[in-house]
Amino acid sequence: MSHTPFILASYLISTVVLLWAGLSPVINKRSLLRQLKNRQARMDKAQ
Amino acid sequence: MNPIYLFFHKTGSPPWFYQFSGKLIPWLWAGFAILCAIGLYQGLLIAPADYQQGESVRIMYVHVPAAWMSMMIYGLMAIWGFIALVWRIRIMEVLIISSAPVGAAFTIIALITGSLWGRPTWGTYWVWDARLTSELVLLFLYFGVIALYNAYDEPRKAARAASLMAIVGAINLPIIHFSVEWWNTLHQGSSIGTSGNQIDTSMLWPLLWMAIAFKFYYGANLLSRARVRLLKQDHRKRWVQDLLAEENS
Amino acid sequence: MSRQSAGTAFTALLRRDFLLAYRRRAELLQPLVFLLVVVTLFPLGVGPSPGLLASIAPGVIWIAALLATVLSLDSLFRSDFEDGTLEQMVLSGQSLALIALARTVAHWLVAGLPIVLLSPLLAMWMNLPDEGLLILIESLAIGTPVLSLIGAIGGALTVSLKRGGQLLSLLVFPLYVPLLILATSAVSSAVAGLPYTGQLGLMIAGLIASMTLAPFATAAALKLSLS
Repeated sequence: MSHTPFILASYLISTVVLLWAGLSPVINKRSLLRQLKNRQARMDKAQ
Repeated sequence: MNPIYLFFHKTGSPPWFYQFSGKLIPWLWAGFAILCAIGLYQGLLIAPADYQQGESVRIMYVHVPAAWMSMMIYGLMAIWGFIALVWRIRIMEVLIISSAPVGAAFTIIALITGSLWGRPTWGTYWVWDARLTSELVLLFLYFGVIALYNAYDEPRKAARAASLMAIVGAINLPIIHFSVEWWNTLHQGSSIGTSGNQIDTSMLWPLLWMAIAFKFYYGANLLSRARVRLLKQDHRKRWVQDLLAEENS
Repeated sequence: MSRQSAGTAFTALLRRDFLLAYRRRAELLQPLVFLLVVVTLFPLGVGPSPGLLASIAPGVIWIAALLATVLSLDSLFRSDFEDGTLEQMVLSGQSLALIALARTVAHWLVAGLPIVLLSPLLAMWMNLPDEGLLILIESLAIGTPVLSLIGAIGGALTVSLKRGGQLLSLLVFPLYVPLLILATSAVSSAVAGLPYTGQLGLMIAGLIASMTLAPFATAAALKLSLS
C-alpha cells in the first residue's frame, strides 16, 4: 500500500485545521469592529 | 522597581496588553513560519524513512508535536486557571478561554493524523490503545470547557467556571491516562505504539523544530484570540472607543 | 387579513427555525458531542476487543443516536411555548400540522442529519465491518426522520410540563423500539451477508406512515398543551 496518500492527507488536514483556527480570530475581529462601528453610527444618528 | 514585575503588572491592563500583543504577534507568526519551514524541509526531504514503518513515519512530524501541544495547552489552562481563581486576574481568564479552541484544534490534528498513520502502518484507522483513547477523552474535556464557558452569560463567572473545569480535568488527566493504559494491558496483549523505540537524531531534529514551531503558532493564535475577546468584553470602555475612532480616521 | 399560502408559511417557518438554530449553534452541538461520548464509553466499558465491539456495533450506534435525539427534542417547542409564539402560531389560521411538520423537518436537518453524517466515524470506532457501513448509513438516513417525527409528538405533549424532559424520554423510547429492532437487524444481517431488504422496506413504510400521520398527532398535542 502506498503511504503517500496518507502522508499527504495528514499534512493537508493539519494545514486546514491550523489555517481555520488561525484565521478565525481575524475574521471575528473584523466582524466585531464592523458591528461596533455600526452601533456607533446608529447612536450618533440618534443623537 | 523590578522590570519583570513591572512587565507582568502592565499586562494586567487591557489596553496595554492589546498594544503589546499587537506588536508581538507578527514576530510569532514569522517564527512559526521559519521553524515550520526548517522542520518540514528536514522531516519530509532529508530525514530517512523508518526501517519498520516506511514513509508513513513522516506523519510523526506533525502528529507528535500536535499531541504534545494538546497536552501542554490543557496543562497551561489548568495552571492559569488556578492563578485566575486565586488572584482574580482578568487577563488570565481571557488567556485561558482563548487557549481552549487552539488546544482542541491540536487535539483534533493529533487524532486524525494518528488515525491516518495507523492505517498504513498497523492496518487500522482506529485502535483503542492508551494514547489514542486518552487523546480522545482529552478532546471531550476541551469541548466541555468550551461549552461550559459559552453556557454562562456573565464573562467573569463563565471564566471562573471554565477555570475550575480545566483544573479538575487536568488533575484527572493522568488518572485517565493510567487507567486507560491499565485497561489496555488487560484486554490487549500487544500494545501498538512507538514507545520504546530509539529515535534517530536525523528524525529527532525535525520533530523538535516542529514542536517549537507549534509553540510559536500557539502564541500568535492565543494572543490574536485574546485581543478580540478583550475588545468584545470592553467594547463600552474608553480605550476601545478611542481605538475605534483611530481605526475610522 | 390575507392568508398566506401553505407553501409560503412552510418556508417562512423553516427559515425562522434555521436562523434560530444558527444563533444557538453551540447548544445544538451538545447532543452530537453527547453522541460521540456515549459511543466512546462503550469500548471503555466492555473492553476494546475488536470482535466484541463489532458484534454490538449496530446496537450501540443506534442507541447512542436515540439518546442524542431525545436530548435535542426537549427544546423543540419549549422556547416558542414560553414566549407565546406557539400560541400565535395556533391562532394564525395556518394548518397546525403543517407548522408541526416544518418544525420537525428543521429539527431533523440540524439534529438528525448530523448523526447520519457522523455515523462513519462511529462505525470506525466500533469496528463495524465494511459490509455494514452502507446499511448503517441508510438505516440512520431512513430512521432519524422517524425519530424526529415521533419525537415531536412527545415534545409537544410535554412542552407545558415542568419536568417535561424526563417524561419525554419515557414516552418516546417505547415508540422507538420497533425502529431500533428493525434498524439493528438490518445492519447485523448485512454484516452477516444475509438479506436485509425486508427490514429496510418496513422502515421506509414506517417513515411514510409517520410523515403523513405524526404531524397531525403533534398538532393535536400542541393544542392540548396550550389549552
